[in-house]
Amino acid sequence: MESESVIEIRNLTKIYRDFWGRKKVRALNQLTLDVKKGEVFGLLGPNGSGKTTTLKLLLGLLFPTEGEVKILGEPATNVSKNERIGYLPEETYLYRFLNAEETLDFYGRLFNIPAQVRKDRAKELIEMVGLKHARRRQLREYSKGMTRRIGLAQALINDPDLILLDEPTSGLDPLGSRDMKDLIDKLKEKGKTVVMCSHLLADVQDVCDRIAILFEGDLKVLDRVDKLLVDEGVTQLKTSQLPENVIREVEEVLKRHGASLMNVDHPTSNLEDLFIKTVRESKERPGQRHVADGKPTAAS
Amino acid sequence: MGSEFDFSGALITYISVIGSLLFAIITVSVAGSFVVGGKTGPLAVLSILRLAVEDWLSTSPRRIWAITKLTILEAIRRKALLVGVVFAVLFLFAGWFLAQPASDPEQQVKVYVAFVMRTIAFLIIPMVLLLSCWGIPEDIRVRSIHTVVTKPCRRQEIVIGRVLGFTAIGGLLLAIMGVVGYVWILRQLDAKGRERLVARVPVYGKIAFKDREGVDQKQGINTGDEWMFRSFIEGGTKSRMIWNFEGLDAFNLETADHLPMEAGFQVFRSYKGNMDRGITCQILVVNPDTEKRAVAPLVTSRDQAGKIEQTDNAFEVKEFRENLLQLARRVVDDEGNELDLFKDFVSKGRLRVEVLCLPTQQYIGAAGPDLFVRLPDKPFVVSYAKGLLGIGLLTLMIVVIGVCASTFVKGPVATMTTFFIVLVGATGRAFLDTIVDAKWVGGGAFESIYRIFAHLNPQTELPSTLPFKVMQLVDGAGVGFLRSVRYLFPDFKFFDLTPYVAYGFDVPWTNPVPPNSGALLPSLIITAGYLLPWIVLGYFSLRLRELEAK
Ligand SMILES: Nc1ncnc2c1ncn2[C@@H]1O[C@H](COP(=O)(O)OP(=O)(O)OP(=O)(O)O)[C@@H](O)[C@H]1O
Ligand SMILES: [Mg+2]
Repeated sequence: MESESVIEIRNLTKIYRDFWGRKKVRALNQLTLDVKKGEVFGLLGPNGSGKTTTLKLLLGLLFPTEGEVKILGEPATNVSKNERIGYLPEETYLYRFLNAEETLDFYGRLFNIPAQVRKDRAKELIEMVGLKHARRRQLREYSKGMTRRIGLAQALINDPDLILLDEPTSGLDPLGSRDMKDLIDKLKEKGKTVVMCSHLLADVQDVCDRIAILFEGDLKVLDRVDKLLVDEGVTQLKTSQLPENVIREVEEVLKRHGASLMNVDHPTSNLEDLFIKTVRESKERPGQRHVADGKPTAAS
Repeated sequence: MGSEFDFSGALITYISVIGSLLFAIITVSVAGSFVVGGKTGPLAVLSILRLAVEDWLSTSPRRIWAITKLTILEAIRRKALLVGVVFAVLFLFAGWFLAQPASDPEQQVKVYVAFVMRTIAFLIIPMVLLLSCWGIPEDIRVRSIHTVVTKPCRRQEIVIGRVLGFTAIGGLLLAIMGVVGYVWILRQLDAKGRERLVARVPVYGKIAFKDREGVDQKQGINTGDEWMFRSFIEGGTKSRMIWNFEGLDAFNLETADHLPMEAGFQVFRSYKGNMDRGITCQILVVNPDTEKRAVAPLVTSRDQAGKIEQTDNAFEVKEFRENLLQLARRVVDDEGNELDLFKDFVSKGRLRVEVLCLPTQQYIGAAGPDLFVRLPDKPFVVSYAKGLLGIGLLTLMIVVIGVCASTFVKGPVATMTTFFIVLVGATGRAFLDTIVDAKWVGGGAFESIYRIFAHLNPQTELPSTLPFKVMQLVDGAGVGFLRSVRYLFPDFKFFDLTPYVAYGFDVPWTNPVPPNSGALLPSLIITAGYLLPWIVLGYFSLRLRELEAK
């Protein structure tokens, strides 16, 4: 079952240069990646690993040093692709002298949305992100989380098919990040594609179908979350409430087959373990990269 | 008159400059990209052009308006409009320093009107210059532009929206200051001064002279002034100043009982005479087709009902003020025939007027604009509004240049660049023209260098071998480049309309008087001509760069 690719990244390299054209940083190195329609994709990596750079390249805000990007079937430099994209930047870069309503009205106009539709949608979104009480206040007075919320609202003003979220939960209160996860689930239900960067691994594990882990511009891990988190060496039993004697009996059975009962607790997330392991290994053995067939190999 | 604005010539120059610029840019970019990227280079240039066409075809008024509104709101909420308050306060105090109730009303009008208009210009221009040069760079620095360009907003819409926004701010301030200034002028002037607030509509004629023997001359006598703007005729001789007027059909000839004219002659006395009396002059009207001529009777008094009571065949020149002359319609010629000025002397809207000086050995002098037919005045508000429109157009030009510059470089550099362009455009265009259009003796830069080292004088022929040909070709290209570069600087002298308003004239659409001063249509055309190229330049600059703060 091969569904349509919404994002195609081929051998993407980005080198930041200074004013004189001298090389400063290799922020992204030969990245190849596809995002399918309808999936929630997570971009992970330590600080400065190139996540934001990848998103900016996708949006045509930066130009690639090498390689190609296709997004919604168009090159990244085509402005018309933006009609169907919603983008929440890393920090909410909005006009601080506007209030919430004016902000949404402004971005709505940029999508050429007629006045009435704009008004309705703005009202709906402000309510959704929980800023109804502050809709007439200028953004300069907003707290970080409030700014984040209005930033999310502007990213959804055009009812986009593809949503790029750069650290959507940063600055949000627990309730807010919970809402964010629910929202992403809802978007997925509607068949939208979501690409997000995040450092909150629990959130990523909850909502993402697939993840990629970047380290210093190199792709280290790329796969389905459920597959990545399955430890083939461990079988976990989960049963209904068992009396003490039954547990002892089960232990006995296991012993007989040479296995041992390791855990009868509730299962816990371990994306965190995977992430830390990946980063640690990358530091110890630089040069190893993810390749298409899934097994990490040494780069040439 | 003199140097009128040459529209067709300007259009040809415009097209050729833009055309050669485009050609140069495309050639250089295709060739350059070929050198850098091989065959893919020119293809990349092509795809950029294709994208540009797509972008421009998708231009949306709603998006432009969004950016415009944003720009205006930003200026308001960031309190840029405080300048308006500064202006009002300034007016409150300026009254003390400029107050001169004793001086004559005409002088008052000049001083107050010029003061108001110059103040408005000097307040608005620096403000829009700063605003327009900092808008986009600030947008890039705080990255709010990222949220805009990731919407379907095209780059030219950003440029146009910004230009419109800043111009609207300038226009708004202009309107407010204009009204405040107008009220202030009215309040400062006494009743006599207010009477002088007019917009005279002159019809100028072409001037010619006859010397003391009655021979045609281009100029009269120089009475010792270094500046030969006005030249003189001698009294009591056949010497004449002659004006040929055209286009008098604009004047309603049916109902009027006189032809209103205004003279501003100068007097040169070779002996003192009676200083209490002016020098007397006579006016002859001549039909340019039939050569029929007669002395024009000038109205000196009217009765209660406004009917002409008395006329006089001569008038005294009062120096340094306008002499209002009403040429009576009823004219009597030498043979005593009664004639009609409008029917018998004006032919197809043309009329010749000859002025002679009566006392011997006294002189009167004039230049072309010193005698004109004065069509019915327009309200002062009209010329005042046109004068403000001139400032408005200047504002628009500065905004366009500023916004365009700010797409390339950061605020401070953009400000300096724009300031430089405006400065050169306002003061140095004529100088640039003289340099570039001059015939260069001894060839261009390289040829001159060669001649210096080879000790050749400029007249020596150079051998026509290939190296010299190439050298001259390069020099020629250099001059061509300079010739095009000067067009970077719009000629701002056309935008200064203040003198007309201050001196009580209507602002003309074309035919600036004196020559080479402002007029409305040339400034409109210059603005229109510069607008699009600058915007396109700004578009490409935004399109081809990463909008990342460096
Ligand atoms: N404008 C820029 N100029 C120069 N270098 C840059 C620029 N932006 C990013 N970089 C560099 O590129 C690399 C990747 O940065 P990027 O912002 O993509 O990281 P990130 O994965 O988003 O990190 P974080 O988790 O901190 O947001 C870093 O080394 C960073 O210093
Ligand atoms: Mg980032």
